Amino acid sequence: MNTMTAKATPDTAAGTRESGEIRLVGVTKKFGNAYAVESIDLTIPHGSYCCLLGPSGCGKTTILRMIAGHETPTSGEIFIGEDMVVGKPPVERGTAMMFQSYALFPHLSILDNVAFYLKMRNVGKEERRGKALEMLERVQLDHLKDRMPAQLSGGQQQRVALARSLITNPKVLLLDEPLSALDEFLRLKMRGELKSLQDELGITFVHVTHTQPEAIALADMVVVMDTGRIDQADNANTIYNRPKTPYVARFMGGQNVLTGTVESNAGGAGTLKSEAGSTFEVKLNDSSATVGSKLSIAVRRDQVTIRRGDEASSVGANSIAGIVEATEYQGSYVKVTLRAEGDEFVANVSDRAFFAEPVETGDPVVATWNPEDIHVLSKVDTGGAGDSYLDGGH
Amino acid sequence: MLPTYLQVAPLTVVLTLFFVVPVGLVVLVSFFRYQMLVGIVPDFTLKNYVDLLTNPTTWTLYQSTLKFTLIVLAITFALGFWIAYFLVFHVRNLLTAIGLFLVCTVPFWTSNIIRMISWRPVLGKEGLINSALLNTGVIDQPIEWLLYSDFSVVVAYVHLFTLFMIVPIFNSMARIDKSLLEAAVDAGASRWGVIWNVVLPLSKTGIALGALFVVTLVMGDFFVVTVMSGGLSGSATSGIFNDLQFLNYPRAAANAVILLIIVLLIAASIFRLVDVRKELVR
Amino acid sequence: MSSASPSYGSRPWTFYVLALLFTLFVIFLYGPMLAVLVLSFQGPSASLVFPLRDPSLMWFDELFNPRRTGDVVGAFNRSLPLALVVMVLTVLISVTAGFAFRRRFKGATLIFYTAIASLIVPGLVLSIGTIVTFRYLGLSASWNTSGLGAHLSWALPFGLLIMFAVLGRLNPSYEEAAYDLGASKWQTVKEVVVPIVFPGMIAVALFGFTLSYDEFPRSWLTVGSKNTLPLEIWTMTTNVTSPALYALGTVTTIISFLVIAIALSSILFIQRKRSRGK
Repeated sequence: MNTMTAKATPDTAAGTRESGEIRLVGVTKKFGNAYAVESIDLTIPHGSYCCLLGPSGCGKTTILRMIAGHETPTSGEIFIGEDMVVGKPPVERGTAMMFQSYALFPHLSILDNVAFYLKMRNVGKEERRGKALEMLERVQLDHLKDRMPAQLSGGQQQRVALARSLITNPKVLLLDEPLSALDEFLRLKMRGELKSLQDELGITFVHVTHTQPEAIALADMVVVMDTGRIDQADNANTIYNRPKTPYVARFMGGQNVLTGTVESNAGGAGTLKSEAGSTFEVKLNDSSATVGSKLSIAVRRDQVTIRRGDEASSVGANSIAGIVEATEYQGSYVKVTLRAEGDEFVANVSDRAFFAEPVETGDPVVATWNPEDIHVLSKVDTGGAGDSYLDGGH
Repeated sequence: MLPTYLQVAPLTVVLTLFFVVPVGLVVLVSFFRYQMLVGIVPDFTLKNYVDLLTNPTTWTLYQSTLKFTLIVLAITFALGFWIAYFLVFHVRNLLTAIGLFLVCTVPFWTSNIIRMISWRPVLGKEGLINSALLNTGVIDQPIEWLLYSDFSVVVAYVHLFTLFMIVPIFNSMARIDKSLLEAAVDAGASRWGVIWNVVLPLSKTGIALGALFVVTLVMGDFFVVTVMSGGLSGSATSGIFNDLQFLNYPRAAANAVILLIIVLLIAASIFRLVDVRKELVR
Repeated sequence: MSSASPSYGSRPWTFYVLALLFTLFVIFLYGPMLAVLVLSFQGPSASLVFPLRDPSLMWFDELFNPRRTGDVVGAFNRSLPLALVVMVLTVLISVTAGFAFRRRFKGATLIFYTAIASLIVPGLVLSIGTIVTFRYLGLSASWNTSGLGAHLSWALPFGLLIMFAVLGRLNPSYEEAAYDLGASKWQTVKEVVVPIVFPGMIAVALFGFTLSYDEFPRSWLTVGSKNTLPLEIWTMTTNVTSPALYALGTVTTIISFLVIAIALSSILFIQRKRSRGK
């Protein structure tokens, strides 16, 4: 697909497509009494690559299906461009969906699968097959046009599914876990191809995934979800480096979350004291962080240094003492997992620094960081949430 | 919602007209009086039931039917289970397994009556088995009990109905994840341990469905037992048949209701064991 | 596959025991049918048992030009159209009903269990019920009215169960994909759903045909004065003592095998087309 050069597709549908901006206003979806999605507000700008990211059951697929028109919201409004689309069929919305299983019709050849949309619009056989063939050429599968779906590899099936979606000339392409059925090598390759395809077409892509690296690699806009709510919607860099909540920090990985009580707050410079007695210096712009209140902070794993520690009493500010639980060699760095103050704390140490002064499981160590690398979270950590995803990102 | 009801309407109409109403009328008529030459007289009477239940013949017939049902159930289960087990877990090639499965199922689609009478030249006094045994000198008198006996009745039942065990059990077993068996072996289970603790419980639905078919088919049969026993054995339905010969519909109906109640009770107890609908949709 | 001891492709002893059991079962299943097949070519000495003497086709001739046998041709001319009508109706009705059952609706469980009850109620009971119903309606029983209904009450539940299994495996995303690509409800059914479940529909058709074609207990009282084929055979078992009976068995079995062959090969053809391309 990286060889695609032509712009968009032969247009038989609705003339020129205008804005593919998606706006969700107060969208709620209930299944029975359970909220799958609860009063969501979200604007996805026209032409952006948006990833909906979250663990399974967080409601990301429900949002995608509501945008697609395969699910109707219980309440709220969904706009695509200027149109309120709730109740409209997918084709009138200008959306096209690529299914997780690809849903290629098993009884139709590749060519007829791609031509299906045109057939539904009563386009003549010759014409629709011609256009479908052009589309297959663009995904470099024209030589397989007479094959049946069952005869294609996973990667080929995905390209056919893509071609079948694009022939509708959508202004929004919706992708439900598009890479999950592929092996690691193909996944990385297709990831790149999806990105360049989106650049080239300039239409809005909404991509559902549960994999953090996938979202960070692809998205202009990452929407992190937690049980029916949006925790943070930002660009990838912000999401990764400046997570708003402990949940996002944990889910995206790469961060340690620490919680303490505000000891002092003078002119933007404050100190926190953890329950175990460690002190952390923080920059506080927020005047609401009054003395005595609780506050959570995050520090990136790769901005932590460790040294062998002696006694806990010798630990200074901006550091935490712990016992090494595990060391894991990752190639360019070593992941050192500590148990510190009853919690897990991870330092990603460059391999050079690590092997200069190696530590082993059971060693007492002190982890230290610079106060300017501290990032204050907007919510106090209630612990636990998303713990099982801690190791998802590195 | 309306289209859903429209879609299910033809089925409902046919079932109502040709199942619910007929069975309802059977129940109704069973309380009516029979009068010679007049036929059915619409009074309410329990006489038909009292007649039947006080008649020792009824009990003998039900006893005989129950005996056949239990024997046939045991044999068809044993055959069905091991044949399905062989096809699913011992035949290594899937296509071969499906082919052999089809070999087992093809006779289902041929005439039951023909399959039944085809035992005559095999089991008869001058039949294949007797002549073979006579020729080899194993016996010097033909074995009489091979045909027109309880034995031939059971043979015919097994011949006709084992399929109804094999198919559902095969279906259940085919869905068992092979790695479960390997896991059981890893956990130290013997071959019998695997069958007893893994295969058998997971084939429960198939066994229940198969048992349901076999029980209702044997209980409701009249023709096999009549032909294959040469009229010597009877079944619960023989009574119904006799009443019908005399056009005594009320008593035939009462007899039918008793049979129906027994069959439905057995079916209900099987349905208590497995949720058949859920298993089917799975 | 399930061998516990180290094996290098050699089969466990249970394989041989079960293979023997299976072989015996197949002989048990087909042996008598073969005996009938052979004996239907019996010569004029008219013995009902082996050995086969002077092979001839005379008993087939007897079937179609009856002197001593009953009206076999007439019975066949009723059984075949009846089976075809039952087949078509079973496919139409159980497929549409199967689709209805994919959604929840009030009364679904009641209808489902009614169908199951219709499947397990003894055929003779239903036969009596149908004939009594027709008497009360003032109609006379006939193979193409009461007979047809009695057959449907037996074939439909089978068809419904097959459709449950088939539709249970139909991934809903096919229909969503069609909707996504602008297909109307009707187009989705016509272009996507029916072609995908077509092999299942053939299976339903096979059941519909053979359940009617071979049905005995439900036909017994309900077909009226004119017999269908199984009833004709039944009559012959009691009063015909010539190999013509076996000839008839051979002919009906051949017809059954033809129907099975057509059904299975069309299913195979479709599956092969899907996995290997045109």
